[in-house]
Amino acid sequence: MKNFHVAIIGGGVIGSAIAWELSKYKLDIVVFEKGCDVASGNSKANSGVIHSGINSPHGSLKARYCVEGNKMLRSLTDQLGFSLKWTGKYVIAKNEDETKELERLKKVGAENNVPGLEIQNGSDIKKTEPNVSCYAGLWVPAAGVILPYEFTIVLAENAAINDVIFLLETNVIGLKKKNDGFVIETDKGVFQSQILVNAAGLGCRNIVSMVEKPDFQLYPCRGEYLVLDKNYNDLITSMIYPVPVKELGVLGVHITPTIEGNILLGPSAEFIDDPDDRRTTKDMMRTLLLEAKEIIPSLPDKAVINAYSGIRCKLASSDEGGWADYRVEESKQTPGLVNLLGIESPGLTSAPAIAKEVTRMISKYIELKTKNHFKTKKKGKRFSEMSSAEQSDLIKKDKRWGRVVCRCEHITEAEVLRALSNPLGARSLSSVKYRCRAGMGRCQGGFCTQHIVRIMEEEFNMNLKDINLGLPASNLFYGRTREIQK
Amino acid sequence: MINHNVDVAVIGGGPAGLVAAVSAQEHGVKNVLVLDRNSWLGGILPQCIHDGFGVEETGSSMTGPEYAEMYIDMAKKQKISFMNETMVLDFDKKLEITAVNREGLHRIKAKSVVLAMGCREKTRWNVMIPGDRPSGIYTAGVAQSFINLYNIMPGRNIVILGSGDVGLIMARRLKFEGANVKGVVEILPYASGLTRNVVQCLDDYDIPLYLNHTITYIEGCDRLKSVTIARVDENLEVVPGSEEKIECDTLLLSLGLIPENELSKTTGVEIDNVTGGPIVDQFFETSVPGVFACGNCLQVYDTVDVLAKGAKLAGWYAARHAMKQRKDIQKHIQVVAGEGIRHVIPQRICKDGKISFTLRVEKPQQTAKLHLTVDGKEIFIKKLLWINPANMVEIDIDIPDEIIRSKSELEVTIDG
Amino acid sequence: MDEREITCIVCPIGCKMLVRTDGTRFELLDGSKCKRGVEYAKSEALDPRRFLTSSVFVEKGEWPLVSVKTTKLIPKDKIVQVLNSIKGARVRAPVKLGQKIIKNIENTGIDIVATKSVKILQI
Repeated sequence: MKNFHVAIIGGGVIGSAIAWELSKYKLDIVVFEKGCDVASGNSKANSGVIHSGINSPHGSLKARYCVEGNKMLRSLTDQLGFSLKWTGKYVIAKNEDETKELERLKKVGAENNVPGLEIQNGSDIKKTEPNVSCYAGLWVPAAGVILPYEFTIVLAENAAINDVIFLLETNVIGLKKKNDGFVIETDKGVFQSQILVNAAGLGCRNIVSMVEKPDFQLYPCRGEYLVLDKNYNDLITSMIYPVPVKELGVLGVHITPTIEGNILLGPSAEFIDDPDDRRTTKDMMRTLLLEAKEIIPSLPDKAVINAYSGIRCKLASSDEGGWADYRVEESKQTPGLVNLLGIESPGLTSAPAIAKEVTRMISKYIELKTKNHFKTKKKGKRFSEMSSAEQSDLIKKDKRWGRVVCRCEHITEAEVLRALSNPLGARSLSSVKYRCRAGMGRCQGGFCTQHIVRIMEEEFNMNLKDINLGLPASNLFYGRTREIQK
Repeated sequence: MINHNVDVAVIGGGPAGLVAAVSAQEHGVKNVLVLDRNSWLGGILPQCIHDGFGVEETGSSMTGPEYAEMYIDMAKKQKISFMNETMVLDFDKKLEITAVNREGLHRIKAKSVVLAMGCREKTRWNVMIPGDRPSGIYTAGVAQSFINLYNIMPGRNIVILGSGDVGLIMARRLKFEGANVKGVVEILPYASGLTRNVVQCLDDYDIPLYLNHTITYIEGCDRLKSVTIARVDENLEVVPGSEEKIECDTLLLSLGLIPENELSKTTGVEIDNVTGGPIVDQFFETSVPGVFACGNCLQVYDTVDVLAKGAKLAGWYAARHAMKQRKDIQKHIQVVAGEGIRHVIPQRICKDGKISFTLRVEKPQQTAKLHLTVDGKEIFIKKLLWINPANMVEIDIDIPDEIIRSKSELEVTIDG
Repeated sequence: MDEREITCIVCPIGCKMLVRTDGTRFELLDGSKCKRGVEYAKSEALDPRRFLTSSVFVEKGEWPLVSVKTTKLIPKDKIVQVLNSIKGARVRAPVKLGQKIIKNIENTGIDIVATKSVKILQI
């Protein structure tokens, strides 16, 4: 039975950030992830926003980690090479009444030490955002956007090259607390670990209930999104958020420019029973478009190229107001179990700060000795982002940089190979998509899918039945048209 | 950067590109280069193993691969050059093309360019079908490529959305390969493909055709589990309570094609919002001098025969431009798609003479009259029978000189 | 004698004709609009035939499959047999367009020929 210092349950952005932070020290670390890749759950299905901290009450963990994380991300992006754009955000008020809310947010922001906050009137805002109609707005320069799946993958892959073991498609099915640690039963074997980090997202309550009676309830709250064609990316420059809807404690329908040049509409907010119910609904899609058009009247109807849902892990029900602070704590009943509960927005921003906090907690149990040779693998540039000279050079070294496999985004065969050769061993179509972007363009895989499948079969000797979309049982095919007899 | 100088550069080696290239060479240019992103030539044709190609042109009904090979052989005999697995990254108004392949980056200077990039398929999100996001959802063309080219079966229990010819052909193909085709769902009250295909692909095999239906929900966590179909009324709105769940593991989407013009847009070629393709004159020249367009990237065609007619002309005129043999071009007059007409090509005319118009009507009619009017005065009228939006109408009309010289707008209308 | 409806496929109108037939005798009851349509309905009722296209497995080729067709129309009641026969066939690369893959398939007197060329796979 393999024995670890730290076992992390969950390969989302929180689990991966913790794994990376801990990988700086001489520790044996394992991450259990039930999906085919990291960021399988909500870590890839959110807005990708780096929040400033104006939305969380002063003194809350949400505010603290958000502001801390926001600062840390500024240097992390240089260190690890993931994309980050400080687009800034306008929280807009439709009328004078809503302006009061802007003042309130500005005050909270000041308490949380958020810099650069400024209330502007509608006509001034029109100068920088000519397509947006509003009465007034709060300008928040300390807000930005990242690609949440890219961020998670970069953290996880850097942890992996620093010896963290990632076990994908591995479900934790039982836990036992022993004197010196935990016995972890998974569907891929039994493991032991001194410390257990519960970063299981929507599964966090199930994990807790394996060792003790949980003192909390989970309230899944679904948020639907619409993704707009890149052709419309010059409609806005910064994020545009209407004044928060007070009743639910959620942020409302936002308009967010992504790093890649698409526009995101959403999320909606709907409390649901089933934490795995990631459906998109006709009503919500209609609502998102209608509400977005109130803010940007020139938004066309036929601009949608994709839609998806994420599910917030809430600790407070709709009746309770839907807002609760993070719980980042060691279980009182089960020492050595570090629980991360209710990590919803601003979870992405908070991830690096939460990772540092968890490391601090673990240091009380285990002496943390810094590694001498900590490796960093910066995210590589895309072929389409390089200069002609760089491109020619690369093709000379490896011809596969010259074969374009994704027409919409100009992704080359070499990049697909690089994606499939990732240190986590993730090999689904989505793993390729989230690492090199092939399949995320206008034609949504219409051209590249056949070529990626061919590469999977020929270069990686993958069996046809093992080629799947993203989830473990999401097979793409059902055998051959004509059987190949040996 | 590897430099090339050519007379005519053809972007796309599918049927349009091949026909245009052969035509250009036949009309006197020496140096024709065809660039294609795939390792094969013929574009979509190699996977279209059914027949129905080239009936008008050759008198016999060929399969897609046969039609492709016919033109590929012609092109090779005429010593046309090819660059395969080559992606055109962009081209500018000076007609300098940047392309990339395994040999490196290429700069191709051309005297004229023919755009023949074809089209892409509409996806689930173009029609916003709500529900889960499982595997097992394919556009018909992608499914066809897997079955016919790569020897891979995409599914066992199939539902097809869209009754255009591609969907009908795929219904039969899948049935032939042992799949259980549960039905074809069509939102309109009639199938949009040829009657021949409805009979020989669906009726022959007792595959149900759900007319006046649409798909309202997709269910499946990992792989597709079911689709929910529902009836629609005359306004194409769902009739509540008419929902019916069909269990399946594969959904094929045959929702229509979108001309592929990302390259054209990057260069600043003017695009027609209705066709999705470049605005052209009767010489198939776009708004950028020396750049011609043909095939499905110009407009979505129904048959390769009509497409080939246009591509031949485009190739000819591209050759003429390359050889600097253009006759004087007069002022453009606009061609307007009026009442009852969805779109007309060409969208402008710059010279008198016989012009081959292709157009689509807005709705099906048994008998109708097509009118051409200039400033209210009717200059042409023709009776048409059994027209519908799914069948492109071809009409050759002589446009006299005085119309070009004195007027500014030519309107095409139809009434029943 | 059976009564059935036949949809004409000769022209875009797609007339629906009502015919009576027992496989050897034919009577048009209703619906015809032209001579070609009647001829089609007659052949559909008495000797329905179809053009078939499919694929054959290729050994050692650049592509794993070669598309094929029947050289003439196949009787409708033989379609399943013919398709099964095609499914079981194999051919070795190189394959030339027009090459006979199966002679006299299922005793119909009709051949199956390749509709594209497939080169030998170069490794």
